[in-house]
Amino acid sequence: MAGQDGMTGHSLAKALRWGVLALACLSPLKAGATEAAGFTSLFAPSATGEPFTLEAARAASGALLLRWTVEPGNYLYRDSLEATRDGAPVPLERPAGEVKDDPTFGVVQIFPRDVEASAGGLEGTGTLRVAYQGCSETGICFPPQARLVDLASLAIEQAPAGLMSSPADGSGRNSVASTGAAAMPASLDESDGIASLFQGSLGWTMLAFLGFGLLLALTPCVFPMIPILAGMLTRSGQALTARRSLVLTGAYVLAMAGAYGLVGAVAGWSGASLQAALQTPLALGVSAAIFTLLALSMFGLFDLALPAGLSARLTGRGTGGSLGGAALVGFGSALIVGPCVTPPLAGAMLYAAATGDAATGAAALFMLGLGMGLPLMLVGAFGPALLPRGGVWLERTKQLFGVVFLAVAILLAGRLLPPPATLALLGVLLVGSAAFFGGFDRLTAASGAAARLARGGGMAAALYGATLIIGAAGGAQDPLRPLVFASAPAASQGEDTAVTVASSDGFDRAVAEAAAGPANGRPILVDVTAAWCSVCRSNEQVLAGPELRARLSHLPQVTADVTHTNAETRALMERFRIVGPPALFLVDAQGREIPGSRIIGPVTVEEITRRLDAAGA
Amino acid sequence: MQRRHFLTLAGAVAAGALAGSRLLAQGVDVDAILRDPAAPTAGNPKGDVTVVAFLDYNCPFCKKAAPDLERTVKEDGKIRLVYKDWPILTEASVYGAQMALAAKYQGGYSRVHHALMAIPGRGVSKEQMAAAVRASGIDLARLEADLTAHAGDISTLLKRNLAQAESIGLQGTPTYLIGPFRTSTLDYAGSKQAFAEARRRQAAE
Repeated sequence: MAGQDGMTGHSLAKALRWGVLALACLSPLKAGATEAAGFTSLFAPSATGEPFTLEAARAASGALLLRWTVEPGNYLYRDSLEATRDGAPVPLERPAGEVKDDPTFGVVQIFPRDVEASAGGLEGTGTLRVAYQGCSETGICFPPQARLVDLASLAIEQAPAGLMSSPADGSGRNSVASTGAAAMPASLDESDGIASLFQGSLGWTMLAFLGFGLLLALTPCVFPMIPILAGMLTRSGQALTARRSLVLTGAYVLAMAGAYGLVGAVAGWSGASLQAALQTPLALGVSAAIFTLLALSMFGLFDLALPAGLSARLTGRGTGGSLGGAALVGFGSALIVGPCVTPPLAGAMLYAAATGDAATGAAALFMLGLGMGLPLMLVGAFGPALLPRGGVWLERTKQLFGVVFLAVAILLAGRLLPPPATLALLGVLLVGSAAFFGGFDRLTAASGAAARLARGGGMAAALYGATLIIGAAGGAQDPLRPLVFASAPAASQGEDTAVTVASSDGFDRAVAEAAAGPANGRPILVDVTAAWCSVCRSNEQVLAGPELRARLSHLPQVTADVTHTNAETRALMERFRIVGPPALFLVDAQGREIPGSRIIGPVTVEEITRRLDAAGA
Repeated sequence: MQRRHFLTLAGAVAAGALAGSRLLAQGVDVDAILRDPAAPTAGNPKGDVTVVAFLDYNCPFCKKAAPDLERTVKEDGKIRLVYKDWPILTEASVYGAQMALAAKYQGGYSRVHHALMAIPGRGVSKEQMAAAVRASGIDLARLEADLTAHAGDISTLLKRNLAQAESIGLQGTPTYLIGPFRTSTLDYAGSKQAFAEARRRQAAE
């Protein structure tokens, strides 16, 4: 069902495209008319005559002689000369041919000049079917020819030949099944584990994705959602009832799931890469802006900055938080966990894009989002009991979450900004919040433990923030190692075999270079990564680990850096049908992906070893 | 549901447009050859020059030229490539063409096409082709289903290709139609030259 649907859509869409073109500018009509004069032959000699002609004769012994005239520049394949009588093969005496050894085609025996073959035991009447096939030296292969030789008169006529007449008719005859399908392993299940989820019934597919979502909720990459959600609930302040909290959390989770569903639908409709859509500067910029606005409202700046109506809507004062605001945050949250959910997303996306079945793809991803959000409902249920209800603590907590929101906004913007700029922004945020939380306040002898703790924490934050700013000035990229540039060679040491590219052309160049290098002919390891992809960092550590280091040092590597979303990186990802980082696969010397070598998501030493073994790398 | 409705509607509009062009254009066959909606395409769908490749999966010269053609199409960026599966050499060729065209229903034509083209030689058996398709990473269950469900469509397309090739008097594989030109020898340099010439002619018209 889905398949038929998809195909209908596909061909119709294609027809539509051409139809619109025809309507819009009539250019196809013009092209059709001008080219209708006929195709002129540009390079090939316009051979009009038959390259091979067959004659039959009787030898004195009574044997049948078959003689082929081969026009100069053509040749017959020796093994193609065949004869059958009533469907039974008739042995032909063929002379030895000229040996043609072509690196591409292998060793074959050919007849570049006229040739004669004979067959005995063909007295009397009947019809002999003679088949032959050959090529031109100019590089064209002619269809096999068949002639009927009347054994009595030796008259020759054209045989009703054609491969197409029979096999293409029999609908099921040439199925993959009839050709060793029993031995056909479901290779899909091995290489694209997630895709196999779609082979079951729709209900199971949905359940499976819900389960996947639940599993994903246990991975660290969903944790950022917890403070975001808690912050959102805190913002509602005293008015927050347990029930209201649950409703708000529900809106948040539904919006998050909806964001994924939308992505699935878009994929099904357009076949476009999902994360390319989510990671567009516009989407990221809008999300970053949303989180910045939320943060400002946490600091209480909103009432001044925005019209009262909008402010009330966003902060939801009086109603205990607005549903719209919660949904907005949920939608934005879907962006934050982007890289973490790549593996299941890739599976769902490939399915949705390949079948054009937008509904299933969207529903599956919606279920995934729902699964990821279900544990968050716990926060919604118990949050109000745990979160502060009023006074100074409520204000402090709100401010703290304001800082968290700002950090989220910076991380989102960081996917567009150069890494040092992100570092600098984080540094400024830390120093700023340090001041906000009393890191620079003067302590007196009378200061209590809380004030001293705040001062200590604030100072630490300020120190880290300052370090980040210094790191940014030095061009550092990793917030956990801001001063790495101080120990200069460390950064480049581990990556000397890898070339970093960010475009399809660059990839081709890198592959060509690698193929021409000492590792000529070996597969090339391609690592698709991005600065904002945390799983990629741990993958890099696996690759650099002692188990793999020696093996990989002989292997050319190309790092596809898709940190920045632009037309070039998108084209690179679409070329290999990658949904987003992290992805790891092997290509051959021509830059073609080696089937079955792809790993999406976190990698293990065993998994990489297995793929390397399989590819002979 | 809505989507299907929309596409049906769009399809009707498109069909009308195509019918119109068929009446207007003089070269009925040529238009059909260049713009057969069922034929798999690659390269830039909006390219300013079209190459139509009549190929057979047991055609050694097709395989030899394939990387050069792909390279030219990719580097140029403005070439539209139309694949005409024209299985004329062996019975296995028909089988290969059927699998490749069935893969199109899951968006995998080029994957299977390249897998089959990558098997060297002229005597590739069905079994070898099936193995290559298995290794290509295509959804086999789906392929099998599409092969059965769309057997009629695939057969019709193959026959149409056959008729089209005959109508313009093609002699064998490979044959490439590049703009107004036809050639069977195609290497990297030659194809660049051919595309440049085709563009020059188109501009002159």
